[in-house]
Amino acid sequence: MSSVDYTQELSVVEGKQALRELDDLIAKPLETKPDKKFYIALSITLSMLSLLVIGLGLTFYYGIGMWGNNNPVGWAFDIVNFVFWVGIGHAGTLISAILFLFRQKWRTGIARFAEGMTIFAVMTAGLFPLIHVGRPWLAGYLFPYPNQHSLWVNFTSPLLWDVFAVSTYFIVSLIFWYVGLIPDLATLREKTNHKLKKIIYSIFSLGWRFSNRHWQNYEMVYLILAGFATPLVLSVHTIVSFDFAVSIIPGWHTTIFPPYFVAGAVFSGFAMVQNVLVIVRKIFNYEHIITIDTLEKMNKIMLLTGSLVGYAYAMEFFIAWYSGVEAELFAFLNRALGPYAWAYWIMIICNVVSPQLFWSKKIRRTIPVMFVIAIFVNIGMWFERFVIIVTSLSRDFLPSSWAYYTPTLVDGMILIGSFGFFFTWILLFTKALPVVSMAEVKAVVDGAQPSHKDN
Amino acid sequence: MSDFSKSSDKKELWKSLNDYNNDSEVLKFKHDEFLEGVTEDFDPSKLSGLSRRKFLALLSASAALTATACTDYRDKGEIVPYNKRPEEVFPGVANYYASTCNGCREACGILIKTREGRPIKVDGNPEHPINKGKICAKGQASILNLYDPERLREPMAARKHVSWKSVDEDIISALNEAQKNGQEIAIVTGVVTSPTTKKVLDDFTKKYPNTKIYSYALINDQQRRSAWLETYGTIEYPAVKWNEANIILALDADFLGNETGFVENMRKFTERREVVKKTDFNRLYVAEGRMSATGALADYRLRVSPAMQFEFVMALINEFSKRDSALPIDADTKAKIRRYSLAKFYNQVGKEKLDYLLNDLNINRGKSIVYAGDTLSKEVHAAVNLLNELLGNAALYDFASSYKSLLNLSTHKELSQLVDKMKNEKVGVLIHFDSNPVYTLPEDLGYASALKKVKTVVALIEAENESSALGNYTLPINHLFESWGDAYARGGVYSLQQPVISPIFNTRQKEAALLTWIAGDANAFNQELYHNYLMNNFNATIYTKKNSFADAKSFWYSALHDGVVTFDEKSQTTKFNFAAVTNLQTKGATNGFVLHLHNNYYIGEEKFANNGWLQELPHPVSKVTWDNYAAISQSTAKSLGVENDDLIEVKVGNKKLTLPVLVQPGAADNFVSIELGYGRKVIGEVGKEVGFNAVLLMSMNYDSSPYVYSNVSVTKAGGKHKLASTQEHHSLDDTFVKDIHRTRKIIQEGTVERFIKEPDFLHKGEEEKLLGITREHTYTGLKWAMAIDLNKCTSCAACVTACNVENNVPVVGKDQVANGREMQWVRLDRYYSGTPEEPIVSHQPMLCQHCDNAPCENVCPVNATNHSQDGLNQMVYNRCVGTRYCSNNCPYKVRRFNFFNFRDHFADAYYENNLTSLVNNPEVTVRSRGVMEKCTFCVQKIMEARSNAIRDGKELKGSDVVTACQQACPTTAIAFGDSNDPGSPVAKLRNHDLSYHVLEELNVKPNVTYIAKLRNTHSEEIQ
Repeated sequence: MSSVDYTQELSVVEGKQALRELDDLIAKPLETKPDKKFYIALSITLSMLSLLVIGLGLTFYYGIGMWGNNNPVGWAFDIVNFVFWVGIGHAGTLISAILFLFRQKWRTGIARFAEGMTIFAVMTAGLFPLIHVGRPWLAGYLFPYPNQHSLWVNFTSPLLWDVFAVSTYFIVSLIFWYVGLIPDLATLREKTNHKLKKIIYSIFSLGWRFSNRHWQNYEMVYLILAGFATPLVLSVHTIVSFDFAVSIIPGWHTTIFPPYFVAGAVFSGFAMVQNVLVIVRKIFNYEHIITIDTLEKMNKIMLLTGSLVGYAYAMEFFIAWYSGVEAELFAFLNRALGPYAWAYWIMIICNVVSPQLFWSKKIRRTIPVMFVIAIFVNIGMWFERFVIIVTSLSRDFLPSSWAYYTPTLVDGMILIGSFGFFFTWILLFTKALPVVSMAEVKAVVDGAQPSHKDN
Repeated sequence: MSDFSKSSDKKELWKSLNDYNNDSEVLKFKHDEFLEGVTEDFDPSKLSGLSRRKFLALLSASAALTATACTDYRDKGEIVPYNKRPEEVFPGVANYYASTCNGCREACGILIKTREGRPIKVDGNPEHPINKGKICAKGQASILNLYDPERLREPMAARKHVSWKSVDEDIISALNEAQKNGQEIAIVTGVVTSPTTKKVLDDFTKKYPNTKIYSYALINDQQRRSAWLETYGTIEYPAVKWNEANIILALDADFLGNETGFVENMRKFTERREVVKKTDFNRLYVAEGRMSATGALADYRLRVSPAMQFEFVMALINEFSKRDSALPIDADTKAKIRRYSLAKFYNQVGKEKLDYLLNDLNINRGKSIVYAGDTLSKEVHAAVNLLNELLGNAALYDFASSYKSLLNLSTHKELSQLVDKMKNEKVGVLIHFDSNPVYTLPEDLGYASALKKVKTVVALIEAENESSALGNYTLPINHLFESWGDAYARGGVYSLQQPVISPIFNTRQKEAALLTWIAGDANAFNQELYHNYLMNNFNATIYTKKNSFADAKSFWYSALHDGVVTFDEKSQTTKFNFAAVTNLQTKGATNGFVLHLHNNYYIGEEKFANNGWLQELPHPVSKVTWDNYAAISQSTAKSLGVENDDLIEVKVGNKKLTLPVLVQPGAADNFVSIELGYGRKVIGEVGKEVGFNAVLLMSMNYDSSPYVYSNVSVTKAGGKHKLASTQEHHSLDDTFVKDIHRTRKIIQEGTVERFIKEPDFLHKGEEEKLLGITREHTYTGLKWAMAIDLNKCTSCAACVTACNVENNVPVVGKDQVANGREMQWVRLDRYYSGTPEEPIVSHQPMLCQHCDNAPCENVCPVNATNHSQDGLNQMVYNRCVGTRYCSNNCPYKVRRFNFFNFRDHFADAYYENNLTSLVNNPEVTVRSRGVMEKCTFCVQKIMEARSNAIRDGKELKGSDVVTACQQACPTTAIAFGDSNDPGSPVAKLRNHDLSYHVLEELNVKPNVTYIAKLRNTHSEEIQ
């Protein structure tokens, strides 16, 4: 390890496995019956999911009053969770689309999984705009549809932009993910003896026959979709940040928000991908596919984005002071010194301080440490949204209306439940579809590329 | 043809061999054409008995049955159309009836708005010379008492429903028996302001000569009355011409908050706080221990504990006698007052303030008034009367409008005699005549335990209370809106009460119950009994007095229509009795804490404790709802080691009370003040376990006043009790949040001196108009706007309550207020500046500002909130999905979200029932859960005015609309109208030098303008 030969491109997949062995390894979880551990894990996530169901049941029956939201703090856990989950999704698209365009081969081991996480995270996030409204049975009003009242939605509202941004993001991600799955589904179709599975795989592999022409078209579509998805990585969280930036509340009304939110989203997304993959590679014996090198690269991105976020925190303070607007300056001082200072400092320690440890190569490559740091980052990024949303609202312009927000049990149930929802999908995913792209991995194995040398 | 006949023999076409052979069977068939039976004649008798009509009937009936079986049809009550419309009742058009409020002893004239026969709103009667169209928050909310689901509905004997007839028979025989046995018949009543009720009581005494009438009120003006009796020889003390006073010194007197005549006082006081026409401000000095609503308005506030007030007044007299030897004080008195020195107060109050006070009082002799509060002792009142007399301030007494006393309050001696008689079983029948002495009398009197010795205890009340719970008979009486009556509370003013709805339940007028017993016959009762009695008494007294040319009946009807009859009353010539004040003295200052018990602001003595709207009104200064508390100063809290919500134990002699602390800026040190009227035990769901009963600390053996106790011990009790406040309590020491309301220009103030010198001081040096980057909408035509004069706002909450009633604002309960979810559309913001010892208090009513560039509008994803062409920020409830984004983006945070269906959520759907829903204004939507709401500028009133204007073919004018808050404001601080009409009051106020908008720099262009408050201090700066 000490001496790296920079003239040689590092191999992405360790060892020189036969391609068939890779297929078998990746397809193994799909071909074997789930073991006990899987059921234990699933029962945990389903229990968490049931908390969501109960929490939502109570909310739908009694009203938003079951949450801690109050008069100045109209949004709290609901929108915090929404922004958090949308952010989690960003790493997937970044890895699968942007890194694809940049020809980063190390992405192949993690792209499928990260994309899957994007889908599930956006599904989780998508719950919140619907459930946070006071009358969820009228949530359909948020969509522009022709009606006899000639009533149209309000196109000036950032919340409406959200509806478009998130639904576009979800659709494009889903298509992108599915297109990437087609060759693998065909491989699985070939491999399986199970009758039903064969039918399903046959249908969804859309008649893929590994022909040269198929590959040619596939590569083109994949490239175009990657091109589509790339701006979405930037636009979705930019638009989410407009929810705040377009308002006039001090602490929200900030032009730095779009880049700051995108950096934060990538930051938290990578942390989540890293967290989950550390476990996946262990359980499924993918250590040589999802290598320490790959994890290290992800840690480097976390270090970068974490520092960007830290810079944004500092810049917010500077601008608040530089603007000379009293309310603005107060909003930021209040974050650091006011009644929610505890949340602010959790955020700073988790988001700014903890990723700085990644400057050390040793820490970048030590799995338990990086795992803990990534958890910290996720906690910190959740608190970042909490600080932005709740702290700013709880003390805005008129001191007479200030109030402290305290979450309720139902708030906690919905937060935990959202994790249950997300991880249930993840667990089902690991057993239903190949979590690593067989086709892509096979393409980057040493010797897979055409070369003038003999292999 | 012929071919056919030919073929009959031999066929060319045949079907079978038989056919070919012309078999007879076949021929027969051929001949008959139809089968047997088919060709028989039609015979109805052979048919089924079911007629076509019957069949159709059965078919439709079964279809109808099937259809109805599938619906959730329930009997939703009767809807009876008017087949003959009652006179004056138009569906959809409101009727107004004049009446008189009986919420307290003020007896204000009221105007009750009814729709299709049900009362939905109360306002002041503009014809009434005392309250002039304005009433307090209690009066506004009294309508909820009418629809209280826990009002008594049936007479009860021994907790069982019985008929009135059997009750009447039982009581009449009990009365006769008591009369026969020589036992006393005691009637315990509250303050009687009705001359006809008084007459009924007199008649009762005539019929049953053993009767004794007792009158008692927890919060009374007995101290003041006895001082007036001693110093001026009259128990009927005069009103004060506040509007003529240049200098006012109020001694623990909450004359603008909740004391005698405060609605009238507020109006007269603020006549001298006018900035538009002239600036001859009065100057208000308040010397008090607690922080009262009046103290919060003071130009100079002097921290003087109520136990020191006597010394303070005497020291002032001493000072004046030293300065002016011409004062008519005899040498003896002079020598006696020599020992009261003002120097003692220098430390606590500050010499500068005292010098200002002395000079001001001296310069303004005859044009100033010193006024002591109801809770202070007789001696203080006497000393104050002396001081006013010496300074010539008696000129401001209005004897013609004196406070009448129809039935003098019973003294403590009389009451303890009653208790003794009860204990010795010398009282046969005890009637609680709309009163609750078990709760209101001091516990050491032993009234409750003595009650057990009385054989027949009757309660005539609206809802179960502590006294009725200990009695045998609980008899429900009519609510004010179901009652006949009259009142004579002030000199020269007689007002009438008329029912506006027939009794909803099996209740009776309390006087009619007595009249039935006077008749001695259970059958004597009829609904008109008291009505006729009242009319007869009216004819005998008022009609004859007025010498009207009209006949009695017309006069009666016109009096009923106006609700009030005024007449010139000869003012008594009174002379000050100097002899009464020569030997004035009280016990000197003492150690330990001083306890001050005083009236609450909104729930009254006992009547309104079960009224959710009133319980939920924030205290005018502390903003605490649903509770009372021990208010102590910051340094006292520090020395006791307690903070807000910590429990302390207050001990007076052997009486104890544990209650939570509220650190009140401006309170005197070593001093506790507690509001009375809370801590009710026997009451409906709303008032139950609300607050702490401070009556438990009261004693029969008080030093000088039943409301002020010295040598009180206060200790930390451990534990907490959460007080629900609508405003966070920021410490005044916290530099981080201190004075934000000033730096952000939410509150802008000045002084009178500065304003006179430099009228444009507020906006001087301000930069050019804020620029907008969008094309501004231009408002041609009408544009609605409001202006609020902060010089006049006393934070009385009449506007808040009026708005609650007009706009169907729900009660949310203490837990929800604590969570910041109160629904009142108008918020009365209170800000402190200065030091915790000497705070400056600013009030600001805050409601939807109806911004031209409303930030709430562009963030709503579904367009549920938008702008009207006449400048209203509208809320479309049907369209609202409840994202709360609008509320987040509102810089004033005046939007209210229905976190629950609050009517269903509060106290197990206490207010969600057929009775209480009658209180709702039919013109205003009742909002469901998940919907945002806010002030609409009473859009329903605007629409009504508009349709009236269209009907009359006139143009709608700004002055045609009066919003509920504007109508209710006792000081006319609120102006509303068309800001595009340069002649309108609103437009004038908007252009006034002192006008400003809150958070103007946001450029949201609010349409609510505030007029900066001027403080009348001897300075150009606010301290």
